[in-house]
Amino acid sequence: MAAKKNATTMKLAAVLDLNEATVLHRAFLDARGKNITLDASGVERAGVPCIQVLVAAARAWEADTRTFTITAISEAFQKTLSLVGVNIDHLLAKESH
Amino acid sequence: MDMNEIKEIFFQECEEQLAELESGLLKLNDGDRDPETVNAVFRAVHSIKGGAGAFGLDDLVSFAHVFETTLDCVRSNKLEPNQDVLKVMLKSADVLADLTNAARDGASVDESRTRGLVKELEALARGEMPSASGAPEVAPAKPAAAAPAPVAVAAKPAPTDESGFQPIPFTFDDFGDEPAAPAADPVFEVTFKPRSDLYAKGNEAALLLRDLARLGEMTVNCNMDALPPLEALNPEEAYFHWVATVRTSKGEEGIRSVFEFAEWDCDIDVRGLEENEEAELPMIPVPFDLAILDGDGAMTAEEHDHDHDQMGDHHEAAPADAPVAAAAAEAVSAAQTAAAVSQTARAAAAAPAAAAAAAAAQANNAANQAGQTIRVDLDRVDRLINLVGELVINQAMLSQSVVENDSNGTSSINMGLEELQQLTREIQDSVMAIRAQPVKPVFQRMSRIVREVADMTGKSIRLITEGENTEVDKTVIDKLAEPLTHMIRNAVDHGIETPEKREAKGKNPEGTVRLSAKHRSGRIIIELADDGAGINRERVRQKAIDNDLITADANLSDEEIDNLIFAPGFSTADKISDISGRGVGMDVVKRSIQALGGRISIQSRPGQGSTFVMSLPLTLAVLDGMVVTVAGQTLVVPLTAIVETLQPEASSIHSFGASQRLISIRNSFCPLVDVGRILDFRATQANPVEGVALLVESEGGGQRALMVDAIQGQRQVVIKSLEANYTHVPGIAAATILGDGRVALILDVDAVVAASRGQSLKPEIALAG
Repeated sequence: MAAKKNATTMKLAAVLDLNEATVLHRAFLDARGKNITLDASGVERAGVPCIQVLVAAARAWEADTRTFTITAISEAFQKTLSLVGVNIDHLLAKESH
Repeated sequence: MDMNEIKEIFFQECEEQLAELESGLLKLNDGDRDPETVNAVFRAVHSIKGGAGAFGLDDLVSFAHVFETTLDCVRSNKLEPNQDVLKVMLKSADVLADLTNAARDGASVDESRTRGLVKELEALARGEMPSASGAPEVAPAKPAAAAPAPVAVAAKPAPTDESGFQPIPFTFDDFGDEPAAPAADPVFEVTFKPRSDLYAKGNEAALLLRDLARLGEMTVNCNMDALPPLEALNPEEAYFHWVATVRTSKGEEGIRSVFEFAEWDCDIDVRGLEENEEAELPMIPVPFDLAILDGDGAMTAEEHDHDHDQMGDHHEAAPADAPVAAAAAEAVSAAQTAAAVSQTARAAAAAPAAAAAAAAAQANNAANQAGQTIRVDLDRVDRLINLVGELVINQAMLSQSVVENDSNGTSSINMGLEELQQLTREIQDSVMAIRAQPVKPVFQRMSRIVREVADMTGKSIRLITEGENTEVDKTVIDKLAEPLTHMIRNAVDHGIETPEKREAKGKNPEGTVRLSAKHRSGRIIIELADDGAGINRERVRQKAIDNDLITADANLSDEEIDNLIFAPGFSTADKISDISGRGVGMDVVKRSIQALGGRISIQSRPGQGSTFVMSLPLTLAVLDGMVVTVAGQTLVVPLTAIVETLQPEASSIHSFGASQRLISIRNSFCPLVDVGRILDFRATQANPVEGVALLVESEGGGQRALMVDAIQGQRQVVIKSLEANYTHVPGIAAATILGDGRVALILDVDAVVAASRGQSLKPEIALAG
């Protein structure tokens, strides 16, 4: 139970626009302290504001030494990340902690 | 909104872009070298290409792409837009319009013409000037002095820019994506720092970077230093900025154009890198194929929900939709461009399809920028106009019954009614204004006709348009195109002489056709003047005698002879040409103009040209009329036709011949026309002294005094088509419903005047209306 309570999977919305950045930001603030697994397989469009939130969240999780991983990623999201110069590494909390 | 509706909006948008394109090219043709004009032309083609791609209209995309590439050479000063170049461009604009129509209606296009022009455009892009062999469609008898000798741009090596760049031949084998830039292209370092406003206004840095990546080969470094901790982060703020290197042939200008619509909301720095200079930062290469991101329109809060609603639909289908989506992105940038050009929200609203995404964003921007417009279905406007028409009639009925029951006219109801009348009138004017459109689109179509007919006949002709922003009811505009086309063809085919003949007469070998529009006393006057040979009156007269239109001894003024060309079946062309039709002649034109409640006349001066003058009502919905009584019937005479009214005295009436009567008005005589007799309302002529004379001016027929029994008053009436509701009645233009609910006929003044001229022109009355 405890483990279940402490881990959460977040499925990212298909459209990661400016509105979604606020939603996502709040969701991460609420999920602080939990291990997070992101499912980005359904992302069709992604904007920079959401990517900023995701990078900031990855850094926060890294600082918290919690896991922050991505299980699946859509091609569109992957290409958008390359386009804006964001590595997939930026979205993962490093395990070294 | 379903796909077809969106597509229809795209085609409407195309029409506007085509008009923009043509007017820009014509400006260039007139020597305008304003870079903004070139940009506007380029953007028009680019917008069409983008939208067409979204709908998979490949032919349109392919052609627009080639056209756009050549225009880009003009834009970057690699190609001098001289008259020869512009000739090809204007023809390309025509083909683009044809392809658009073909895509819209499934009509066929002249493929060989399209192919020929693609070759010509490609040659231009390579820096080769058009030549007779390379341009199969160029008029055979091109006058020597028609155009200045081609500037020797082609002979010179292509100019180089500061960075030593020389234009290289393009290949057009693959229209789908921008070709990868060859290694020889210069490299630029672009620093892009968005401000938070960028996102707030619905722009998206990822899209700008995507467009930047499309210019060539790109690597990018994202600077995340400004990103605060999660809890301090404002999700709508801009924290990331980028340094990108782009290897591209488009130059700094091409790079800056990507950010053109976001320049106020970001900082951009572009600098050229030396050949071996490496970027100092760790760069991530950007993949070439970004098609999958093309559905990624600039997103705003407004369209957020909408997109989520639709998500279920295209989630599964995403891969299959990719090609469509690819072009959609172009549409997005097209929408951005269009919005910036027209500065109205209309462009955004019209952005096609995919563009649904970008549209909302642009709507925001554009709406903030300037006057707002909306697209409204014409049916809705017409319904409103009809209702207002009914309101006018109802108000008139109400007024009448109040007047009947309140003889002294002082009651408060009566005064209130006057205010209502005023208000109704204002509402009506405002509603009519909704339908008012500038004549520009029709005039622009005419320049194409002139070009094509001039080409076919080997003449060199310049079309000058004036007053193209003059507004008139949309119905009038729609119905004006056909008669105007016919007249323009006639003017070019028959009116203007061949360059040789013109030179022999000491005229400029280039003929001029002048098309102008202006408002005059509540009507629109459209004039079409040519500086050709004018009407050969002897030939017209002989032809009229041969066709039994007039008797051999008929005594006609020059003006009356000129007007014979409007008689049915009259054609002076010795040979039937494909251009001006098969001798259907000007009677059809006259009929079309009359059907619009208009009049047409001609003034011609031998050797100096002819001028057709069309006078049309500004609207087909209402009319200011004088309500009169004739033989117990109530008729409405359009106020615009009436010069003055007078009460004839016995001493001023003179008999002339067996049945003609004249009235003397201030020392001149004017034929008196008994309307009741002409319309067969009565068997014998009425006594003029007992009635009222309305002095009217008819087009081409001088003044006549129309005799009516009495004047009831003057009022605005709502026009109801007689043809649509009953059938055509000679001498009657339309009908209306009066305040007492009775139907009154609206007199066709010209037809009545023509009929009064006597037997010889009697058939004209059958044409009226």
